[in-house]
Amino acid sequence: MDDQQLLDLAGDLGFALLKSGGEIYRVEESIRRIFLAYGRDTGDAFVIPSVIIVSFTTPQGRSYTKMLRVRGQTVDLEQVDRLNSLCRKICLHPMTPEQIRQELERIQQLPRYNLSWRIAAYAMVAFFFTLLFEGSWGDAVVAGVCGVATCIACGQMNRFHTNPFFVNTIASALIAAMALSSVALGMGAHYDRIIIGALMNLVPGVMITNFMRDIIAGDLLAGLIKLTESLLVATAIALGAGIVLTAARLLWGLG
Amino acid sequence: MIKDFFLPCLYAILASTGFCIIFNIRQPKRILFASLGGGLAWAIYLLAAPSGSDLFCYFAATIGLSVYAEVMARLFKCPATEFLLVALIPLVPGGGIYHTMEYCIQGDTAAFLETGLHTLGIAASLAVGILLVSSVVRLYRMVRLPKNH
Repeated sequence: MDDQQLLDLAGDLGFALLKSGGEIYRVEESIRRIFLAYGRDTGDAFVIPSVIIVSFTTPQGRSYTKMLRVRGQTVDLEQVDRLNSLCRKICLHPMTPEQIRQELERIQQLPRYNLSWRIAAYAMVAFFFTLLFEGSWGDAVVAGVCGVATCIACGQMNRFHTNPFFVNTIASALIAAMALSSVALGMGAHYDRIIIGALMNLVPGVMITNFMRDIIAGDLLAGLIKLTESLLVATAIALGAGIVLTAARLLWGLG
Repeated sequence: MIKDFFLPCLYAILASTGFCIIFNIRQPKRILFASLGGGLAWAIYLLAAPSGSDLFCYFAATIGLSVYAEVMARLFKCPATEFLLVALIPLVPGGGIYHTMEYCIQGDTAAFLETGLHTLGIAASLAVGILLVSSVVRLYRMVRLPKNH
């Protein structure tokens, strides 16, 4: 494999891994191991949630460096698993560049769950979290409906690449409005439990735990970026719900 | 007993199943065991409640969960994250984050700081629990299999 191909492949594998929600240390280590497998023991990578920089020096003393900008992470654990196995396979038995490229493309084209599955999942999460937070069965049903609405609203807005802050604000305002009106109509009993249960779909809980993990593990910059991101998401959510709750209290005396 | 212990665990399992689909886990067997992890985490959390400190409850639940995830990762030959991320969801301080920002918007600074620090404390005890187990596993592998590294 020539040096340019090695650089591109390692970068692309890291990119796919980070994009599908792989941890910072996993991405850095995977890239380093691929370089090592092809005898480039000076190879290294610098990864933060928005950027990957890969670099190595050939035995002749030439340096190769590449920067990849990552926009919009999702969580796709199936891809993380497949990419991780691909990386292990490469380290055990070095493959030709064409083989690796083919595998990489095959993994990236794997299907995700379709919209109806995702809607069902959102409804399920909202329904059972409301029960877990000691809401009544009526509350849980209302929260399930809120979950369906959240999934559709987020999906539609993401199709047009809307700003994530705005998406979260609108989605949580929608949840709060639905919860308040259902309580006013007598379908639910506790609007706060409905709201928190349905908001579990949006809340950046995993992000806030991962930021702590990164910081304690020594990836300080990545941790700070994730902290900022999760605070922004939390502010957006509270803002959306806050506007609706305040407006309802002032205008109609609800809540 | 059933109402206070088994039902919440069941809810936690089913809520985790929803997140398996959102996080795109595709094999049914892995979905099953990742969801069971969520129930296990909540069960440990409830069992640790008599200790009186909720940070300790979260810490104990995370330790149990991380050990479970590492074992499952060996059995299924996949990254432990797959089980950890899903099963951690019931423990994650979603309500705490929401209330913190709610107080912030209402302008109640004292309550904002108090809830915010408590939420960070919960996140820290989850993170320390995960790191503790994964570091011990790494150390064990380094000591047992020095050839591979």
